[in-house]
Amino acid sequence: MNAKNAHSSSFRDPSGYVFIEDGDIKRVVNPVYFKQYQALKESGFYCELFKNEILIPHKELSNTDKEIIIKAEKIPFVTYPYEWSFNMYKEAALLTLKLQKYSLEHGFSLKDASAFNITFYKGKAIFMDTLSFDFYIDNSPWRAYKQFITHFFGPLLLAHYHGANQLKLLSNFIDGIPVKMLSSMLPFKTKLNPLLYTNIHLLAKLEDKHNEDYKGETKEATLSKKGQLNIIESLYSYIKNLELKEKSEWGNYYNKTNYTDDAFIKKSRIINSWVNTISPKSLIDIGGNDGTFVRKLDRAIETALVCDIDNNAVDFNHKTMKMNKEQYMLPLVLDVLNPSAAIGLNNSERDSFLNRIKAFAPDVTLALAVIHHMSLSGNVPFSQSAKFFGSFSKYLIIEFPKRSDSWVQRLLNNKVDFRDYFEFYNIENFKKCYLEYFNILDEVSIFDSHRVLFLMEKKC
Amino acid sequence: MISLYFDPGLGAMIIQTIIAAVAGVILFSKNLMHKIKLFLGISKANKDDVFDDIEIKDSDIENNNSSER
Repeated sequence: MNAKNAHSSSFRDPSGYVFIEDGDIKRVVNPVYFKQYQALKESGFYCELFKNEILIPHKELSNTDKEIIIKAEKIPFVTYPYEWSFNMYKEAALLTLKLQKYSLEHGFSLKDASAFNITFYKGKAIFMDTLSFDFYIDNSPWRAYKQFITHFFGPLLLAHYHGANQLKLLSNFIDGIPVKMLSSMLPFKTKLNPLLYTNIHLLAKLEDKHNEDYKGETKEATLSKKGQLNIIESLYSYIKNLELKEKSEWGNYYNKTNYTDDAFIKKSRIINSWVNTISPKSLIDIGGNDGTFVRKLDRAIETALVCDIDNNAVDFNHKTMKMNKEQYMLPLVLDVLNPSAAIGLNNSERDSFLNRIKAFAPDVTLALAVIHHMSLSGNVPFSQSAKFFGSFSKYLIIEFPKRSDSWVQRLLNNKVDFRDYFEFYNIENFKKCYLEYFNILDEVSIFDSHRVLFLMEKKC
Repeated sequence: MISLYFDPGLGAMIIQTIIAAVAGVILFSKNLMHKIKLFLGISKANKDDVFDDIEIKDSDIENNNSSER
């Protein structure tokens, strides 16, 4: 296989590989997959998936008997499963099941059910792996079933019983959470539920048994199509009803700050006027909570990444996005102090958040009500946070809560005897450090609050 | 024999028959409950549905799809 510049994550599937050329995402289809590819194309299966916005559309560029090259529609920013909120994860799981059912009904079957096959695009979860389909062999079990459990069902269950942070486990267990681990982590009562017992606990028991007995014999198992559809439908219906139990402290965020409604509107107005002068196509809102400010912008943005550390806020954003059918919005769970690292083979299989955001190069970065948390809760000096924002921002709109602000006071009080260490936290130091990386274009105090808005431009 | 590039887990393949059987029972009873509820006039109001159901709509496919992309 002559992998001309294959993408660092595209090496496992002998059917083909992805490579990037001139900024386009292209895929090589190898002869071993030609039959499937032709069938998927000629039966109109691909077309239907494009029409329903289930699979990322592609164009065929060239077709020889050595290889077929296709070009996929470019996704501006790929989010990875460990960056999704609970409901986003749920949507991805349901999409996989939906797709498998549809494939079965048309004579195909998904070869794999990896969570990395999916990302979010134009307001929905979308399947990216064009070569993931194989012919359905009558009465064969679903080969990707276990992967579905370890990549999707397991993490969702863990999140249900132990909180949304469990979803981050997938960054360490890059090929899904082992079934034995799932079985041991889920509470005892899950053994009493027949669906959970069979899909997790029994599976774990059998895995064990077969690992020991392995003599290199392959036993062929059979499963009727109806049987497989039953599994898929029962999982679909169970996952659809899965919810998180926890509430978050950010729930009523906009009531807890010391804004009057007037101050809120003024902040929005100032930001709006700045954004209108910049006319950005792309934007990232760090600490964007549920997307309120981005939605208040007059200007239509093409892609807006709205990040927050709180799963519930991102979930709420996701729900609003789906109800309004917004295409520009991309919610994302992000801890600014620990963004996703590069992982996998050669630590380049799944790229780090920072590399992805640098490549995305957002026109505007919003950092509203975030810097006091970074500096006071995170103990990050201004010089470091300035460097962080400087690494990817072109224009930065940042809100600085002064020492007199109620949130800042609360955070300082939490420091107790260490309080004096935070003498550095004041607006003069802030400006001095940020001027190392940015030019300050404008500075406005928000009326009736102790906060100041800055418009900055990255120095060349 | 189809070549796979990952190990699907022997146990997972074999166990699917059992899971399918259990799933069948679950779906049957769910269906039954739903029908009984409909009959008795008690059905849960549909909360705002963020997630749709499992069907993908199959539009009528005309025969000229290969060049059109």
